[in-house]
Amino acid sequence: MGALLAVLGGLVLHPLHTTLTQLTYREADGTVEATVRVFADDFRAALKGKVTDSAAVIYLRSTFALADSSGRPLVPTWCGIRRTGDLLWLCLRAPAAHGLSGLRVRVGLLFDRYADQINIVQATYGGRRTALLFTSGDAPKPLP
Amino acid sequence: MSELATYITLGFRHITDLEAMDHILFLFALAAIYRIRDWRDSLWVVTAFTAGHSVTLALAVTGALVLPTRLIEFLIPVTIVATCVENLVVHDRRRALWGGRYRPVFAGVFGLVHGAGFANYLRSLFVDQIALPLFGFNVGIELGQLVVLAIAAAVLAAVDWTFTLATTRGGQGALRLRVMAVSAVVACVALRWAVERSPF
Repeated sequence: MGALLAVLGGLVLHPLHTTLTQLTYREADGTVEATVRVFADDFRAALKGKVTDSAAVIYLRSTFALADSSGRPLVPTWCGIRRTGDLLWLCLRAPAAHGLSGLRVRVGLLFDRYADQINIVQATYGGRRTALLFTSGDAPKPLP
Repeated sequence: MSELATYITLGFRHITDLEAMDHILFLFALAAIYRIRDWRDSLWVVTAFTAGHSVTLALAVTGALVLPTRLIEFLIPVTIVATCVENLVVHDRRRALWGGRYRPVFAGVFGLVHGAGFANYLRSLFVDQIALPLFGFNVGIELGQLVVLAIAAAVLAAVDWTFTLATTRGGQGALRLRVMAVSAVVACVALRWAVERSPF
């Protein structure tokens, strides 16, 4: 009984471990813009230090991936970071000459920190919105 | 996957995650007094809980209600302890207030507290588009709670069976032992959380 209490008592109240990535197509320059919303304390913990542009870019390089419909990686460029309240908004852009349909996406932020991490992707293109959901171990998924 | 399905999945996974022990233990405490044949009563109670947290969640994420996070995180385990105490104190529910049919009301009131626990996260993340995430998240929470409730029913039936074998007390005797054992364990865990998170 004591062991059971110790195990249960060691568990903490349960926060929601989620990020939200919005993908939008910019017709003007034929690029896809990704805005990643992540809680600042989670992101700081993932970077294991201060949140700077260079640290964020290095982390995103290993956790965020875009590829075209044939699987060819799209190399994103960094377009900045801003903070509102306890949320960070990270911005990336990549060339997407053929639009978002068929684009392959993987968002693996914070999977190394939380077993229950869920990353949501919303994409807006062609007059519709669609969503993808990523949990730990998920492979890249195509936008319909 | 449609957006709605995404948010339903988010709510479902949140409530059924083994790390969501605060929610799971609260549901166990609520379900502790019911037998499988009382499934309608337990369903009412859990649905009232969902209705309660949906109201607070909607008020909080739209900014109509602002609640201090530290207070809410303290009150959540307090509601679990209160449920366990009620389980332990009320022996004969037919003679209790309203013939014992007040439980959906207090589950609904406690749901108001638990809903506030999600609100800050959802409000921050979905600041500009809250309606669909909020609806989907709540549907997912309700579905997840039904799964947890079904598992709780099976576990509690197994506890009854164990007590019947161990004590030769069947029926009401085994049920009472089960209520006391489950409520005592859950109350101790929740009390520890409450103390750790006390804002006072």
